[in-house]
Amino acid sequence: MFKYKNSVEVNKDIPSDISKFLTEDLTNYLVIKDGHIIAKQIDKSFEKVEINDIKEVIKNNNSIITNNQFLNSLEDEAYQYNLEEVNSGIIVYVPKNVAVTDTLHIFYIQEKTDLVNNTLIVLGENSELKYFEYLYNDGEASINFVSNSIVKENAKLTYSGLSKFSEKSVVSVIRNSYISRYGRSLYSIAEINDSMTDSKTNIFLQEQYASATTKTIAITSKEQSAKFTQLVEHNAPDTEGIIENYGVSNNNSALVFEGIGKINKNMKRSIARQQNRGIVLGVNSRLDANPLLLIDEYDVEASHGAAIGKIDEEQLYYLMSRGLTHKNAQRLIISGFLSPVTSLMTTKELIEDFIGSVENKTL
Amino acid sequence: MSVLTIKDLHAEVDGKEILKGVNLEIKGGETHAIMGPNGTGKSTLASVVMGHPKFTVTKGSVTLDGKNVLDMEVDERARAGLFLGMQSPAEVPGVTNSDFIKTAMNARLEEGKNVSLFKFILEYDKAVSELKMNEDLPHRYLNEGFSGGEKKRNEILQMKMLKPTIAILDEIDSGLDVDALKIVGENVTKMKSKDLGLLLITHYKRLLEYIEADFVHVMMVGKIVKSGGVELIKKIDTEGYDWIKKELGIEDVRVIVEEEEEKVLLGVCATKEALGL
Repeated sequence: MFKYKNSVEVNKDIPSDISKFLTEDLTNYLVIKDGHIIAKQIDKSFEKVEINDIKEVIKNNNSIITNNQFLNSLEDEAYQYNLEEVNSGIIVYVPKNVAVTDTLHIFYIQEKTDLVNNTLIVLGENSELKYFEYLYNDGEASINFVSNSIVKENAKLTYSGLSKFSEKSVVSVIRNSYISRYGRSLYSIAEINDSMTDSKTNIFLQEQYASATTKTIAITSKEQSAKFTQLVEHNAPDTEGIIENYGVSNNNSALVFEGIGKINKNMKRSIARQQNRGIVLGVNSRLDANPLLLIDEYDVEASHGAAIGKIDEEQLYYLMSRGLTHKNAQRLIISGFLSPVTSLMTTKELIEDFIGSVENKTL
Repeated sequence: MSVLTIKDLHAEVDGKEILKGVNLEIKGGETHAIMGPNGTGKSTLASVVMGHPKFTVTKGSVTLDGKNVLDMEVDERARAGLFLGMQSPAEVPGVTNSDFIKTAMNARLEEGKNVSLFKFILEYDKAVSELKMNEDLPHRYLNEGFSGGEKKRNEILQMKMLKPTIAILDEIDSGLDVDALKIVGENVTKMKSKDLGLLLITHYKRLLEYIEADFVHVMMVGKIVKSGGVELIKKIDTEGYDWIKKELGIEDVRVIVEEEEEKVLLGVCATKEALGL
């Protein structure tokens, strides 16, 4: 069970890398630094949604945490560590029949202490939420970031994020989603970290007709090594899971995608699909995709594919034949390749930051 | 007025010579047509002039207004005024048509300068309607999911926007139905001026009914074997190429023999097999 560790006091200064996003265009955001909420701007559209600091929730022994069957179930060392040492987190609860069309943005900043974050999103029956997270640090730290989402019957969660951890950090990220009947989760994460990273997205389709799509785009550069695992486990019949991975590896970096579609016995008429695409930019870069289908049932639809290679020569030639320099042509092809995630950035500043970070890492 | 001069051009791919001494001069205001059977090196000539990385020039020269084209990178050739309307242009997912053209137009300006957005949109919309293309074109991804005809029209649209001084259109007529061919023909004809030198590569005389050529060349075995005026088109249309072959004593006109692609066995991971892993 959760044990909350009080983290050190922090000042309320927001690093300029983050404050630049807090413009008029950005509505509904929280900034949480080393476990303390240091800025909050939430408007009326979220009035029915409960957004709380995890330490308050733990202190009050709130049933949202204590009665939750899923939250203790994951057997994973980093996850168990998180439960013991948590010092940061937000609990978002969207009650039954509440559908919010605006996006909730949460900026997580690590500054002084190692970050052990646990965020929980609970969507009641027929509810809807769009959530966006921005993970950031600049310096040396160990990061243990966990988020869980519980998507109840006929609810819909759109979960997107951008992660930018620094070169000197060691990062473990686990995102879990538990989906009930007719529930739907859409996960899209842009991993633009410079850190050593081990990131897992686990989707559990718990009841009939639950469905999920999980997309990861990841870019590695310099001496970085990073692994991104996406699991969709079908624990009920008639469930559908789609995994998409887009990767670019540059310089001497190594990037690994593990995609696992797991259909358990008797989970008939389930659909598991998977697509991996990658561009290997550097002569010494590595990009591996391991698409796995673990299927213990005959009556299913499943497919997987991987296309990894150098940047397409014909595309480069075509763009250059219209006058674009090699550099600009390459930049345009990569930004196009990563476009499945660009569309999730809600403001001009976030789009520019995304494109800028991609360019920095693919130079 | 620009002049493109090709002299004794030899080029090979994978060690196999395909162009075997091409000579051709195209001046601003002139329209040239190259005809010839399949596999005789017509498209290779277009690709070599544009600088496709697959081909190696082994001999000869290509100059544009006296400047050595073969020394230039592909993008430098484009900015110098060359344009190639491709037979099968690449698809680039995630890059919209309008972003692409805008970037290409900006590439022709000094660094830091951009085309006016207002002017660009006006011009682009005009070109789209003149080519009778769908209005959603600017927002669609570059050539992705385009029909053969749409791709060809998109090439002409780019030519309209980029205003080259020497344009080569490589089999721009293939994959076009009669109506589309007419639209493309009219648009190209409208672009004709003393500042534009045109080279049309085609199998059929159909295209040349819509775009009038001043000079007609026939290519066989990797070089131009016959040149003349429009009367040559008529003769080829009624008599085929056999009389030229006979006249020159050529039996096999081809330099490119199509090889069958290696098949991948199903049952193993097809991707890995194809990559040779």
